[in-house]
Amino acid sequence: ERNISLANATTVELSCKLDPNFHLRNPQVTWKRGNETISHTTKAENSWSIKLVIVDSSKMGSYSCIVKGDEEIRATFYLHVPKIEAREKPIITYEKDTAVMVCKSDSTPMTWTWYMMRGNNPVIINESLWTDKYLISRLSANVTRLRILKLTKEDAGVYWCEAVFQLGESERKMELKVLSIMAPLKPFIAIVAEVIILVTTIILYEVYSKRKGK
Amino acid sequence: MRQQGGERKEHEEPEEAGKSPGARAAHGGWAWAVVLHFFLVNVLVMGMLKTFGIFFVAFREEVGGSSEQVSWIGSIMSSLRFLGAPLVSIVCRGLGERPTSLLGAGLVAGGCLVSTQATSVPFLCISMGLLLGLGFSCLYQAAAVMTAKRCRARLGFSNALARSGMGLTFLMAPFTQLLLDFYGWQGTLLIFGGIMLNLVPSSLLLRPISTRHSSAKTQGCESPMAQKDPETPDGGLDGTTDRELHPHKAQELPTTERLLMSHGKDVSDPTNPSALGKLEKPTPGRSSPETATGAKRSNKPLSATKKETSQPLLDLSPLKDPVFFIFTWSFLFSHLAYFVPFFHLVARARTLGMSSMDGSYLISVAALCGRSRQVKLGRATRKKRKNYPNEAFSEALVAPVPSGITEMLSQLLSGWVADQNWTKKYHFHVTYLVLSGLTNLLGPLATTFPLLLAYTVAFSVSCGGFMALVLPVLVDLVGVEKLHSYLGFAAFFAGIAAIGGPPLAGWLYDYTQTYACSFLLAGACALLSPLSFCLEPWAQRWKLKRARLSPDPRAG
Repeated sequence: ERNISLANATTVELSCKLDPNFHLRNPQVTWKRGNETISHTTKAENSWSIKLVIVDSSKMGSYSCIVKGDEEIRATFYLHVPKIEAREKPIITYEKDTAVMVCKSDSTPMTWTWYMMRGNNPVIINESLWTDKYLISRLSANVTRLRILKLTKEDAGVYWCEAVFQLGESERKMELKVLSIMAPLKPFIAIVAEVIILVTTIILYEVYSKRKGK
Repeated sequence: MRQQGGERKEHEEPEEAGKSPGARAAHGGWAWAVVLHFFLVNVLVMGMLKTFGIFFVAFREEVGGSSEQVSWIGSIMSSLRFLGAPLVSIVCRGLGERPTSLLGAGLVAGGCLVSTQATSVPFLCISMGLLLGLGFSCLYQAAAVMTAKRCRARLGFSNALARSGMGLTFLMAPFTQLLLDFYGWQGTLLIFGGIMLNLVPSSLLLRPISTRHSSAKTQGCESPMAQKDPETPDGGLDGTTDRELHPHKAQELPTTERLLMSHGKDVSDPTNPSALGKLEKPTPGRSSPETATGAKRSNKPLSATKKETSQPLLDLSPLKDPVFFIFTWSFLFSHLAYFVPFFHLVARARTLGMSSMDGSYLISVAALCGRSRQVKLGRATRKKRKNYPNEAFSEALVAPVPSGITEMLSQLLSGWVADQNWTKKYHFHVTYLVLSGLTNLLGPLATTFPLLLAYTVAFSVSCGGFMALVLPVLVDLVGVEKLHSYLGFAAFFAGIAAIGGPPLAGWLYDYTQTYACSFLLAGACALLSPLSFCLEPWAQRWKLKRARLSPDPRAG
């Protein structure tokens, strides 16, 4: 199984090669996409290939070559748009802080768009509307960054970045969590209280034994 | 002088007899309190160092900066722990252990808290790397020396007990991950700062040892330290340990002093010249460095409280002492031999075709009580960085408690055995080192999972053995008074090894394309390190000769 990521219109040649150690008498090789059979364009000694010209997303998908001998062996190629890499775990930020979300892809998309979920509707983040809240910058051709300033509790939710390639779109979701400052502060204060109690106990004990010694 | 000493001793006997068994028990109890503190220090310091790998990922993603830059933070943190030791030993001798430990705890907690406000990697380098590193070394030095001072007869066992704290650090990894998932790295650092603050009350347990009594009955962790006078907690009383005077527990004394006392001493009053001799030892050390360990007697009148303030703060005498070189040579190589295998164990398992999970299983077997250098791992094996949280997690999840207990048990056993005084402690140390060297040399032969597991267990056992004995051996060689400076400088050199080790191992791998060489290197280092101990008898004799050559006014 192979994954091939394609961004722009290209020609692709997929070939299946048989291991010469496998002696199959009359190997029958068919190329299929889904259920329809494609005739192979070239055939060599032990390899069968097809050539595909891909101009739009309709030609993407999975192609497999099936070898019929004693058993059926299948090899599959997945043609897809480049996947986007981003943080998988929820991003944890605090109120009044800044959140940074970065999306990265292998190839250069034509455009990047950021969306957020408001209620049940995806909303495009339009930088020009809220300039002091959202900042979208393109760090490089393959990387985009969304910064959200002055976070509030309402900013928590799902965000995603979408990259538009010639051959289709690809997107990645991220979750943003906004905590209040009190959240980690409570355990901290509890620990500090415990420490103060211990310190006081030890100091008192020392003072007491000093007095007793005297 | 002798007369005064005699009077003093007689005066104190009834005082001591007057102390009830309750007080004796309390005194012994304080020694265990020190062990508890050292244990806590080990848990928290080692835990922090180990879980840095988890923070590494969080920092890289949120604060930005390349992997190289972020791994500098961890490197600074862990290497400063060693490199800061000479500086810390000066502070310790100036201020005393308790204030130094409090300072260390404050630095660590403060560093954590300041780091929550970090916005860039250089900031973190200073706040987390520098402050935490210095704090760790303060804590470690104070705790180690205090343990050495309080637990005489049972130093091996108490040291091993305290070091077993490292074994519990495997719990820190999932805990940190949990905190990170809940609160983000800033909240986690905040909570860690609070946890580190717990070291403040435990540092308060390091009660200074008062100098007034030269008792005859001071033995070890379980017997009372009769000099423990809570009314005079003088600060900075580290040069004044005169408890170990009497010849009953001859083994406790550093070997040179014992030899000197048996050779050059007058017979009439065995304990007193030695008592005063010990008291006076630090002062001549100031004026003439070569008499630092040699001339134990001088004519200078002393008052107990004045003595320690007259010691030089920067004591370079260890650098002139051959015993120091012996120890440091061994310490350096044993450190190199210690963590290089951990470092490459997982990678080797992978090259041998085992799954990553198995590899982590091995590392968790070995590194539960060891110091897993996840940070250094990051610098030399750049490709494997993504695996950090997973490995730490699987390390924690798969953590086979039996194997972690194996190393802990081996440490405890070796400490206990060393305490029995069947032979000099460093003989045991040498044995364990040789064993670990042999294990490492045979390591490349381990090609299947069970064999690697066997190798790991054997390696952990021998490592636990020799690591537990480092401090007792040093105390044996140099005594407790000078322990600060010796430990400081020895740790400094070990720190150099710690910095150079993983890149060296990584370079070796790149050069030879196989991990077998790292194991061979580790084995060679482990076998090199005990060599210096063979020179120990000669070194002692050399020191004796030098001491005899220097004028000895009290010989009469």
